[in-house]
Amino acid sequence: MARGGRSARVADLSWAVRTEGRSLWSRNAVPGVAVRGERLKRRRGEEWRQWSPRRSKLAAGLLRSKGDKGSLLPEPGTTTLYLGAGHGTTISYLHDHLCGAQNERGGCIVAVDISPRCMRDLVRLAEVRPGLVPVLADARHHEAIAPFLPARVRWLFQDVSQAGQVDMHIAAAQRFLAPNGLSLLSLKSASERSEHGGRGVPRDHYDHARAALTDAGAEVLEVIELTGWEEQHALIVSRMPEEWGKT
Amino acid sequence: MPMRLCWDWRLARVFDDAGEIVDESVWGGRRGVGAVADRLERLSSGRMSDEARVLAQRFPEAEPCAVHDLAEGDWPELALEESELLGRAAVQLARSGVAAAAGDADRRLEHLVRAAGELRAAWGTLEARVVEWAGLFLPALDLDAARDAMPQAVADADSLEAAATSLGTEAADVVVPAAEWKALNGWAQGVVDASARLEAVEQAVRELSTSHLPSTSALIGPLLAARLCTSAHGRQRLARLPAGTIQVLGAEKAFFMHLRSGIPPPKHGHLFQHPWVNRSPRWVRGKVARMLSGKVAIASRLDAFDGEPWGADEAAALERQVQAIRERHPRPPRRN
Ligand SMILES: C[S@@+](CC[C@H](N)C(=O)[O-])C[C@H]1O[C@@H](n2cnc3c(N)ncnc32)[C@H](O)[C@@H]1O
Repeated sequence: MARGGRSARVADLSWAVRTEGRSLWSRNAVPGVAVRGERLKRRRGEEWRQWSPRRSKLAAGLLRSKGDKGSLLPEPGTTTLYLGAGHGTTISYLHDHLCGAQNERGGCIVAVDISPRCMRDLVRLAEVRPGLVPVLADARHHEAIAPFLPARVRWLFQDVSQAGQVDMHIAAAQRFLAPNGLSLLSLKSASERSEHGGRGVPRDHYDHARAALTDAGAEVLEVIELTGWEEQHALIVSRMPEEWGKT
Repeated sequence: MPMRLCWDWRLARVFDDAGEIVDESVWGGRRGVGAVADRLERLSSGRMSDEARVLAQRFPEAEPCAVHDLAEGDWPELALEESELLGRAAVQLARSGVAAAAGDADRRLEHLVRAAGELRAAWGTLEARVVEWAGLFLPALDLDAARDAMPQAVADADSLEAAATSLGTEAADVVVPAAEWKALNGWAQGVVDASARLEAVEQAVRELSTSHLPSTSALIGPLLAARLCTSAHGRQRLARLPAGTIQVLGAEKAFFMHLRSGIPPPKHGHLFQHPWVNRSPRWVRGKVARMLSGKVAIASRLDAFDGEPWGADEAAALERQVQAIRERHPRPPRRN
């Protein structure tokens, strides 16, 4: 079977994200520059960056999702909140999609991380990618994040490697996510302590997260296991209800 | 619905119980990046903007409310130039946050502690090599007795014979080619260098640890205090740990094995390295470590929350308690 090259089947997930065969690509908002040494290629005058599922849980989730993959991404040109930005690998792709070159789409990613070491890399990224708003803060500290968000967001992503991720995610969603908004939680099963002394298999953790989200009123749309690319990780996709956040 | 007061970095508004805007105050200052950054920083720490404060005085009954909890359309969207300004102000704030980390003693201590650990490991390999290597050519030397003197003696000598003489022994009757001697001599100099560098790093650890963790340092020594602080990921976190966790800090691997597979939990981590613990008879070590970790829990809280620091008196009192434990248990418990 012919793979790669021109013969691979191309499917657009958005104006700036597409799959080609089994690989994922985004339209580079900063042509000529690879963020982490990823492959760049040109197609009809456009430059595309390879988005590896090994380096980005969002990429892994997009490739693995059984639903409409494009619906996992936020609407281009909207404002989104990303908790646990890390060094900005995933964020750079999200930026390609949400903002584009010189933020032609008018999008915004409020990117929160607690680590000054990560923030340093995010700042460098933000300097060439307008629309990326780096915030050095603890994601649990909502007051520190709120001033950077003029309104609730319709898309929330969380990837913090820390105990209590599920509660953190629900709290952030209640505070910042709009009714009907989409929330994606990257859950590492190992940092979520289960009731029976940490012996639980990943599934238990995912079920626990699903139950907690459901109890909070969210509708869990999909639990995407990332095994093979990220061991013991899943991406949990939920939608907030219509009357969400109204107290 | 009560009367509500909302604000962000641009403006403040008061809404009446029907959701109508009753009053509004818009920031009239020059909108530079620095000024916006100052405002954002202030709001981030939970304080009101000047505009909000004015309205709060005018309508004391209005309850503060997040803009995110307003109905759609009740709060102005960011104009294009406002978004750009916000982005640039955020970058400036993040940059100064990164710069401020340079003054963070926890992070500096972490680098020092890890540097010391890496150097000590490297030194250990280098030193073991020079002892065996030079020892091969000095067959009559008591390697255990001469061990500490060997690196310096070999490094300082200009021939194998000279090294033998300075160590009070004789060289084996073989011809060691010049290149080989040069290699051995250089190796020994590397060991001496590594010792000096290790000493310099540890001196820096002692100084920083003594000022950052005065009470814990007084109690168990600055090097050990620094290691505990680094394992706990900082002074504030160390101060919040229960004594039982402090006791096993540094034995995280064994601890997680315990959680995962149910093997018995480790009894000691870094604290085990303290002579009060590891020079106690084996049957009282657990008791001493428990007592010590209890005291460290208190000392670390004094360090983190600016209490009156402990000093030599508290350390001496603790040592007496250790002594008392040892005297109370002179013999291993009988098994029955
Ligand atoms: C796995 S990394 C994120 C990688 C990133 N999402 C990506 O795909 O490129 C997890 C990040 O969470 C951050 N983190 C951990 N606890 C946090 C907290 N309480 N608030 C904000 N960030 C946190 C860490 O500093 C780390 O950078």
